[in-house]
Amino acid sequence: MTDAEIFAKLKQAVIDQDEDAVLATVDEALADGVDAKAIIDQGLLPGLNVIGEQFECEDIFLPELMQAALAFQSAMTVLEPMIKESGAEGPKRGKVVLGTVKGDLHSIGKNILKLLYETSGFEVWDLGIDVDLFQFVDKAKEVDADIIAMSALLTTTLVGQKDVIEALRDQGTRDRYKVLIGGGATTQEWADSIGADGWAASAYEAVTLSATLVA
Amino acid sequence: MRSVELLTDAQVARTHEASLEVLERAGILVHNEAAREVFRRHGCRVDGESGLVRLPADVVENARAKAPASFTFCGRDPRFDRTIPDDGPIVVTGSSAPNLVDPATGVERRATSADIAAIAHLINELPGFDVFSISTLADDAPLGQLSLSRFYPALKNCLKPVRSNTPSMDDLHQVVELGELIAGGPEAYRERPLINHHYCPMVSPLTMDVDSTEAVMWLTERGLPVYTTVVPNAGLTAPMTLLGCLVVGNAEFLAITAFQQMVREGTPVIYASLPTVADMRTGAYAPGAIETGTLIAAQAQLARFYGVPSGGYVGLTNAHANDAQSGFETGMNTVLAVSAGATLLNMGGLLSSLMAFDFAKCVIDNEIALMDKRVWRGLEFSEESLAVDEIVAAGPGGSYMSRKHTSARMKTTAVLPRLAARDMRGQWEQSGRPDIHARALAEARRILSQPNPVVWDDGLDGRIRDRFPGLVAGDAAPLGVAGA
Repeated sequence: MTDAEIFAKLKQAVIDQDEDAVLATVDEALADGVDAKAIIDQGLLPGLNVIGEQFECEDIFLPELMQAALAFQSAMTVLEPMIKESGAEGPKRGKVVLGTVKGDLHSIGKNILKLLYETSGFEVWDLGIDVDLFQFVDKAKEVDADIIAMSALLTTTLVGQKDVIEALRDQGTRDRYKVLIGGGATTQEWADSIGADGWAASAYEAVTLSATLVA
Repeated sequence: MRSVELLTDAQVARTHEASLEVLERAGILVHNEAAREVFRRHGCRVDGESGLVRLPADVVENARAKAPASFTFCGRDPRFDRTIPDDGPIVVTGSSAPNLVDPATGVERRATSADIAAIAHLINELPGFDVFSISTLADDAPLGQLSLSRFYPALKNCLKPVRSNTPSMDDLHQVVELGELIAGGPEAYRERPLINHHYCPMVSPLTMDVDSTEAVMWLTERGLPVYTTVVPNAGLTAPMTLLGCLVVGNAEFLAITAFQQMVREGTPVIYASLPTVADMRTGAYAPGAIETGTLIAAQAQLARFYGVPSGGYVGLTNAHANDAQSGFETGMNTVLAVSAGATLLNMGGLLSSLMAFDFAKCVIDNEIALMDKRVWRGLEFSEESLAVDEIVAAGPGGSYMSRKHTSARMKTTAVLPRLAARDMRGQWEQSGRPDIHARALAEARRILSQPNPVVWDDGLDGRIRDRFPGLVAGDAAPLGVAGA
């Protein structure tokens, strides 16, 4: 198989959301001596781009987007160590500290966002659920994050997002980060009123927005 | 009325068994350590490290069987106390929206304690509503008075039972103390607890949280009224079948009910839920979708099998305005729920998937509530209602219009809507072609332009304000008019 054929096969396996086929084709490509970075850049990512376009026009639904992203992530667990070893690691698009705010245990939307961030080239520190403001602030400082992304589903826990922004202001570090909020209880108006840098209605939109914020 | 049934008796029994199997094989994740201890003491297998609790079927069965058949909501005035299922269906407002559609501008904004006071006044006056679940948050709440700033204006302006949640134990203690002040002391409060607590300690799928669980435990231990809602979401927190979603929700209900009975035997419960099917095109939340009505209907049957009252959030809408979508989502879902025997409808006043309160929506929902209650009455079968003597007396070709039999029943047989159009097109055009939103908002303005006679006296108000310095005013203002 030519490299072009291998890349086409990789791309198609992602478009088919077929994790087994993705992994098998990655193995095949590596055995053929194809470079790990080329597998990603010329095979898998073009497939993900098609998936993104299909999702935007509702040709595919969210579970299918997730399955394609998961297949991509499985391939990355094989490929990433090789890239690191070879020193060919490219720069990440940005560092994200992510979590669901204090008092809120809802994780599903946040986990979807984590997966989409990772498959879009962001480095993610997921603090999980019920995260208090100091955990956000401290972790962002520790990893020198570009983005702090906070989720809240319960209207009664929303205020946790405001608390983090105020704590950053108090510490004089507000300008170091882009703060993104989301989750079922949030709106653009809320984001504006607490001085967040961005709000997104869905995980997919959050990643698109993040890319423009750190560009 | 005979209830609509979606399941056979054998299917109900099988759904119940399947739920028990889930609790035994998958178990539930319990984040609250005190709650884990309760489960352990009652014979559940607890993994201390992960917090996973597996519930043997016989343990669940023994515990849930202790739940009584009814649940009572108390209000400031006992005339408004309601017990389900017997007084059902009772209609409750939707709650805890952060925003409100400003009646003067039509623009969504953060809600305040003064808004809560106005909404409480409105709910007190609208006959379709039985319980005021505090519709919004209060953005103007002073530090440390988040919940007081909601409960105080609500209770001050409404005699009907008030219901809501609290985000922390400090808030809960404050709110109960407020209730004791209003009742005239802790003992009087215990006698008739006029605050009704509600929480969602079950985070779907099959997980119990820390804070709400602690609140539910504290209230249950004290015999204060508290019930919970389970919130399965097919496609995200439950399988993508209605039945699978029913099983997850049912397992969650059984677990939390067993838990409450373990904490205190005989604690009244409601089988309440907000079941949804996620819109898989985007994962969007869809509480207005018809599948919620179907699931609430099936759940009503399970609740009868368990001998407990049931209902939940049904009749919510995803619509952002009082348009046809808003009407059909609230109307179709609640009719389905009531037909199936649900006796608690959390439905009133919210647009945009629980995100915003709207005064006009609230008045429209009052009218839908009155229709739902008419559906519940059914045909009221009796010899007298068959009216054979009346039919013979009027005779072939006769008119019933001027007969005493008719005038004696003309105000009770049918719902007399204040909003739904019954006039001729020409009359409607002459009055400026008002749509349902305009008519409803005018009705809200009419009600709120009147003084509210149920606001408590200065003596009680002084005692409350002495105890909680800095408290919000808690008074309603007439609704603003566009351009004012």
